[in-house]
Amino acid sequence: MGYVAGLDSGSTSTKLVVMKDGKIEGFYVVPTGGNSLKSAQMVFEQWSAKTGKTEDDLKSLVATGYGRENIRLARKTVSEISCHAKGVHWLFPACRLIIDIGGQDFKVIKLDNEGRVINFAMNDKCAAGTGRYLELMANVFQMSLEKFSLAAETATGSVEITSVCTVFAETEVINHISWGTAEKEIVAGIFNAVARRVYSLAKQHLAGDKEIVFTGGVAKNKGMAGALSKIMGCEVKVSFNPQITGALGAAIYACEINGGQ
Amino acid sequence: MKNESALAQVRDIYENRASWAKELSRGRMLIGYLCHFAPPEIISAAGMIPYRITGQLGDDIVEANRYIEPYGCPYVRNCFEQSLKGRLDFLEGRVIPHSCDMVQRIYGIWKYYNKPNYSYLFNVPHQVSPWSLDFFERELTFFKESLEKLAGHKISEEQLAAAIEVSNKNRRLIRELYDLRKKQPPKISGTEMLQVLLAGSCLPAEEYNELLEKVKEEATARKEDGKQLPTILVWGCIIDDIKFFDIIEQAGAYVVCDDLCIGTRTVLEEIDTTKGIMRGLTNTYLRDFRCPRTDHGPSVERFSYLLDLVREFGVQGVIGYALAFCDPHKLDYPDLRDYLGMHGIPMLLINDDYTLGNVETIKNRVQAFLEMLQ
Repeated sequence: MGYVAGLDSGSTSTKLVVMKDGKIEGFYVVPTGGNSLKSAQMVFEQWSAKTGKTEDDLKSLVATGYGRENIRLARKTVSEISCHAKGVHWLFPACRLIIDIGGQDFKVIKLDNEGRVINFAMNDKCAAGTGRYLELMANVFQMSLEKFSLAAETATGSVEITSVCTVFAETEVINHISWGTAEKEIVAGIFNAVARRVYSLAKQHLAGDKEIVFTGGVAKNKGMAGALSKIMGCEVKVSFNPQITGALGAAIYACEINGGQ
Repeated sequence: MKNESALAQVRDIYENRASWAKELSRGRMLIGYLCHFAPPEIISAAGMIPYRITGQLGDDIVEANRYIEPYGCPYVRNCFEQSLKGRLDFLEGRVIPHSCDMVQRIYGIWKYYNKPNYSYLFNVPHQVSPWSLDFFERELTFFKESLEKLAGHKISEEQLAAAIEVSNKNRRLIRELYDLRKKQPPKISGTEMLQVLLAGSCLPAEEYNELLEKVKEEATARKEDGKQLPTILVWGCIIDDIKFFDIIEQAGAYVVCDDLCIGTRTVLEEIDTTKGIMRGLTNTYLRDFRCPRTDHGPSVERFSYLLDLVREFGVQGVIGYALAFCDPHKLDYPDLRDYLGMHGIPMLLINDDYTLGNVETIKNRVQAFLEMLQ
């Protein structure tokens, strides 16, 4: 019996999930900033500060995310696509379709009944419909991300944001502001625009799914979860902390390497 | 040639194609060709050296942007850039086919802004029919006559037959190297094979045969390390740099086959001259050349040759490489993906602008795809 961990070195934040005896022991999140190695150290330091344990106490560590190759201690690296699938399958065994929106990309992942990836699709290069896009929009309104995520709650209508380009979409939003459109309707329009982009990617993989799970940092945004549910035609589920799903999946891989412990 | 391992020599030639071509031409004229429709065998028969014009992946494009709009093909733009930077000045002339519209258009732009001594636009029909084959055969004759004018002498049947014989030996040897990749673990990696093919794009065909013999001997003698990894076939637009294959193989896979124009599409089969030399070239360079710029009908069965390769080489997954604005490949992709899917072969498509600058994103997809195969 010992500790195993999954580290997700993402484009925007670095996440650590520590497991023991098949249960989540703790999780830690720090911004990635300009140095993925340093943020990985920081997240381990947070764990050490809280529990007095160090990396040496880990039986195995699996790394995922864009910075995964840099994690020296990792026994194995696994792509975040497989890790998200693993994490979601552990939390929601009936789920067959995952929507993951992270800082710089979004993905649609299709699973089989054992949680194995059978197909996936990703946006190409452009930031439209990603966490960065929403950050930029929150910035336009001078809002924190928390406040922004709730800003469309009481909206009764929404504007159309038609451009798929982040920069052009920002111009569209500024147009609406200058026309005096209600703030909540513009924000609702932004959420719907992202949901539409994700839907267009997910459409070919939908097969009457009743349980769709939304992961990645953007899943913390309640407004986005609502907009996705509407367009997907079923309730999109979000776990207790969607940002750590990839790290959780990595930790489960680490667990398997360690013989299921 | 220097006394070193054959594959090290291949790497050296691959990295310094222009200087090798210059050195081995020994005063003979070097004729550059873009795409693979105007048969290099005719250039060889004229006593000249065919040199495949390639780009420089990820090169900073400065000059070409002055003449080509942003929506132009990034590959053709890059090749043109090499010429504007003076890196192709050693070529006596250029042959450019009407392979796709961008390539055809670059002929005029290129000739206008950067004129070589000899410049030839080679006409290629877009459909395969008895009439288009006849048309192509006549175009071959026009091309031959144009080269005769440049050379100042006639090209005889014997010279053509001799050039084809040397080329067929290239093809047989390449086929034998491909055969070494059918068993896991392959004795020659995808990255190495691509270097071998690219080395061939700048060498005189006789020298290339010597090199291929040496590579074959060296690769056959290799010991197997027994590692089992997913086997991949790469399909798509032109790949003239090893970086893409390298990303895939570094992620933990063997690239064992391809459906590429610097690959199985052009050099795997011998030229059959039993129905005449020009008919043989016509069949190889138009009828059997599987570049999607040529219409091979609406039925998905047009991809059956690819499925044959998948089976022959024991391929588990196909990874596609699509360049921005390459409509012929991109419009084929959905049909191909579904066709392969029907036969249980998954496919991943990577989009690029001939820079492969977004390495981490590509690695991520490739790794996830390989995990899916295991």
